[in-house]
Amino acid sequence: AEFGIRGFIDGWDPDTGKQLWRRYTIPARGEKGNETWPQDNNAWEIGGGSAWITGSYDPELDLMYWGIGNPAPWASQRRPGDNLYTSSVLALRPKTGEIAWYYQFTPNDAYDYDACWELILAELKVQGKSRKVLMQLNRNGFLYVLDRASGELISAKAYEKVNWASQVDPKTGRPVETDIAKSIRDMKATEHWPSTRGAKNWQHAAFNPRTGLIYANTLHEGRMYKHLETKPFVVGQRYQFIENLPLPRVPGEPVGHIEAIDPLTAAKKWRVPLMDFQIWSAMLATGGGLLFTGKETGEFIALDADTGKQLWQFQTGSGINAMPVTFTQKGRQYVTVLSGIGGLYWNIAREQLKDKVPPGGSVWTFALMQD
Amino acid sequence: MRGRIVASLAAALALAGAPATAQGPQVQKFAPEQLKTGAEIYERNCSPCHGARMLDPQGAADLRKFPRDERERFIDSVTRGKNQMPPWGGLLKPEEIEALWAYVVAGGKI
Repeated sequence: AEFGIRGFIDGWDPDTGKQLWRRYTIPARGEKGNETWPQDNNAWEIGGGSAWITGSYDPELDLMYWGIGNPAPWASQRRPGDNLYTSSVLALRPKTGEIAWYYQFTPNDAYDYDACWELILAELKVQGKSRKVLMQLNRNGFLYVLDRASGELISAKAYEKVNWASQVDPKTGRPVETDIAKSIRDMKATEHWPSTRGAKNWQHAAFNPRTGLIYANTLHEGRMYKHLETKPFVVGQRYQFIENLPLPRVPGEPVGHIEAIDPLTAAKKWRVPLMDFQIWSAMLATGGGLLFTGKETGEFIALDADTGKQLWQFQTGSGINAMPVTFTQKGRQYVTVLSGIGGLYWNIAREQLKDKVPPGGSVWTFALMQD
Repeated sequence: MRGRIVASLAAALALAGAPATAQGPQVQKFAPEQLKTGAEIYERNCSPCHGARMLDPQGAADLRKFPRDERERFIDSVTRGKNQMPPWGGLLKPEEIEALWAYVVAGGKI
């Protein structure tokens, strides 16, 4: 979306390799939803909406759910309207790509709040009734719980510091923007929380159906954000027109957390503050009540899921920004992770990391020692 | 004729002998139009990685520290790409990359 594309998802027949359908994430002129884009210019054709992270599938409902990315350009002046279906979730029929329902997290997104993060499928007790839900720790700072059959919004609570919206109105399902949002839209340099990188980035969260909690590595970061004058679209050149600068670091304030979050209330069972580096590797939750994740400084760690207390760590020799996995073979359980510094966070924190962490590429597999 | 040759030789020698960076950065004059073009291209395409107005480079090369006497290296890296930076030679014209160089040398001040 940063270069002005029109996003899409393609459906293919795995038996024959035949392309079955293409679902553009922005409806064309005349299609339902295109009225949420200006009708007197072609903003919709270069409006972004990349679908850049794999969705989730419910075989019983035969629905797949895809998070859709931000609109283009980031500066929103020339694209008034909700800009469907950017920064939304689409529920699609796998065989045809038809949209069964949609929900938009951030209408007329001015903040690069891609909604592509993992959509966690679960069954939750909501007011005594069991509901099939999908859950997302959205980049915009709100934790969403939706009924995945109907798309009905069940809950949307802030899980991190949010200053662009005061709440998500439960009646309309829309965020209520604040003066901060207005200041950004008025093209003034504004302290913006969460920053465009989000209150959580790509690092996947985990859900334990036994505890009913989501475990995640989150970001605590605001930036000085400003919309600039938008220029005409040019193929191959960036199409963003914003300025982002760091805020002075407040001593004692964390840069992120490892935390256990109640999906319906966003209440934290526990929070481990991260004071030096953010964690950009994913979270793994095991049936035995453990959490595994990795640090950019190379430690692969195990936490007690109940308390957040670190029980074990192993220095893998280079930074971890990957996804730990667990599997069983011949009755024995293994946990595997890749170690090798890199990724977006390496770009962000390279000055602080480069003398601490060597480059590398290794894979580590652990198991409990047999008695 | 001889006088002129001597005079121009003397002038050339004088220039060669002038201290380049003895007392601080060399002042290079660029046309305002060129700096403006450079600033616009920088703001649009380069600032997301190299930082708005070259502040806060975020892991990309800190252009404030790029040696002011290595123009060839700059032009080459931008044109062909370097490490994680994609090549811009197919999109930007040579005079646009020169304008970027002017902007960088001027320290982002136009």
